[in-house]
Amino acid sequence: MKTYKQPSTVGRFGEFGGMYVSETLMPLLLDLDKSYKKIQKDKKFKKELNDLFKNYVGRPSSLHYAKNLSKFINGPKVYFKRDELNHTGAHKINNCLGQILLAKKMGKTRIIAETGAGQHGVATATVCALFGFPCYIYMGSKDIERQKPNVFRMKLLGAKIIPVESGSKSLKDAMNEALRDWIKNVRDTFYIIGSTAGPHPYPKMVRDFQSVIGKEAREQILKVEKKLPDYLIACVGGGSNAMGLFYPFLNDKKVKIIGVEAAGRGAKTEETAATMTSGTPGILHGSYSYVLQDNDGQIKEAHSISAGLDYPGVGPEHSYLKDIKRVKYFGITDKEALEAFQTCSKLEGIIPALEPSHALAYLIKAFKNKHKNKVVILNLCGRGDKDLFTAAKAIGFDADE
Amino acid sequence: MNNLDSLPKKKILSLFMTCGFPTLNQSKKVFNEMLSHQPDIIEFGLPFSDPMADGPIIQEANKLALRSKLSTQQSLNLIKELSKSKNNTSFVIMCYLNTVRKFGLNKFIKNIKSIVDGIIIVDLPFEEEDAIKKSLSKNNIHLIKLISPMTDKKRSKKLLKNSKGFIYYISATGITGSNKLDYKEINKNVKSIKKMSSVPVLVGFGIKSKKDVIDISKKTNADGVVIGSALIQKYFDIKMDFNKYLKSLKKFIQEVKI
Repeated sequence: MKTYKQPSTVGRFGEFGGMYVSETLMPLLLDLDKSYKKIQKDKKFKKELNDLFKNYVGRPSSLHYAKNLSKFINGPKVYFKRDELNHTGAHKINNCLGQILLAKKMGKTRIIAETGAGQHGVATATVCALFGFPCYIYMGSKDIERQKPNVFRMKLLGAKIIPVESGSKSLKDAMNEALRDWIKNVRDTFYIIGSTAGPHPYPKMVRDFQSVIGKEAREQILKVEKKLPDYLIACVGGGSNAMGLFYPFLNDKKVKIIGVEAAGRGAKTEETAATMTSGTPGILHGSYSYVLQDNDGQIKEAHSISAGLDYPGVGPEHSYLKDIKRVKYFGITDKEALEAFQTCSKLEGIIPALEPSHALAYLIKAFKNKHKNKVVILNLCGRGDKDLFTAAKAIGFDADE
Repeated sequence: MNNLDSLPKKKILSLFMTCGFPTLNQSKKVFNEMLSHQPDIIEFGLPFSDPMADGPIIQEANKLALRSKLSTQQSLNLIKELSKSKNNTSFVIMCYLNTVRKFGLNKFIKNIKSIVDGIIIVDLPFEEEDAIKKSLSKNNIHLIKLISPMTDKKRSKKLLKNSKGFIYYISATGITGSNKLDYKEINKNVKSIKKMSSVPVLVGFGIKSKKDVIDISKKTNADGVVIGSALIQKYFDIKMDFNKYLKSLKKFIQEVKI
């Protein structure tokens, strides 16, 4: 394989990606692209970001050998990249710090963001509190209902939450509203997108900021195992934690890479969020990528128990990696994820978020009694605190008792 | 022949309406009412599930239209049927790229050829338009360009090169926290556009009343206006009583025809 070099200067990953937005946003995206290119070469910016990673987030996150789970699977040696130990409890903060520093450099004075599970909303509200920016979070009313702890967190951090009542009242619709806000308030507002989705330069920028995960994991595994991992596994909604882990390994041909999507009640049912298993290429939120759509190109509503994966699209880079077969993608149902959520909690003493529980479920299902002597790194990208009520309800435990 | 090539010099009126709103059958009556006033242009919005560049009113209209699973083919058939009483009115389609892409560009053009004079693809910036533009111009359909207050001179120049039909200037953008029209800014930007292009410049977004239309005509150099949301808003204002809606639509269009 040639050295991996994506996207192109106009934001194309193969044929995917691009900038499909109205003329009201185009000049802004071009400006953002220019500013981002500039700060990539800025040593002071890098130093500031690294300092925040270390002292504010608590990076590097550890690489934990999950001995009990490995024994249970009776297959490969499983390592968790523990980004759930980050400040705010997920990988989302990595990207938010990068983007808020950029917003500051660009002289913007108001921050907006969309959120599904609330992790990106919390991370955005956190960096806004730290840097003193007014913060507006768009969140589907369905997600507000199922992610109450995060809603309260955001409020404590000083963010204003704007409930979104349109469409399926979840992540997709929150993103539509945030984009509308941006169109209306182009001059002073910076939109912190939380995933590797949306128009160029977001998919690239978010990947770059998140790739600290993979860079660390690479160094850490070489130190303990003296070799690269045989497998990488991460869950994929829009795809930011997965791209963060995968990207620094894409040139290592021998490393097999697996993305796990949320299949909801099953990838072949209408209630799914498995975009790459069940979707076709189309345009959503300014980018050409796999989407769940009908014959007329109307975007379908996604379904997943995990609000963070409940998105009918996926980042353009994942779409590209699927088509060139560098990464394989599989679907895991709500039920399987819930089971893995409990298994991981009991065996490792780590309550994972429902998002990485999908990755865990795939690992348990596909690697059971197989791939012995192999090494797997799984991105444990978020902790489960936010999901306690959802999980309790689904499992049938009365949390109010 | 393309009706957009013979637009009047001043006070051009373009009316936007979502196809299939509130229902397909009622939509026919709405468009017939609009046509009976012989506006210079009618813009047919093809409903899309995620109309991210539109405001909440048009979004709601899209949602209502899609409630009964309206297909792209049905919308195009509706436009075709209406074109029998088109006369001098220009027909323009306004849509999102995914709709055209999924329907198939060639099939789409085949359906609208000699019926539709222009098309606005909201989320197709000029950087991405090459492939589509050629097929359209071969079939004498103009690709209408949008210019926003954020578009700088250098970009406008590139964008406006060989522009046809009309230029759609998006007025209400970039004014933080208000939808009020800033006539000074509009006038300044329209003037600058006119230096770069000879086709008419229409101002759209945020035009709600007869007064707005007159003010645009008096206080700016624009050649006309586009009215969209205000036409749809009337439906919600009269609590979705369709017969009353047709009457209030009639009254409103008579008013804004200055």
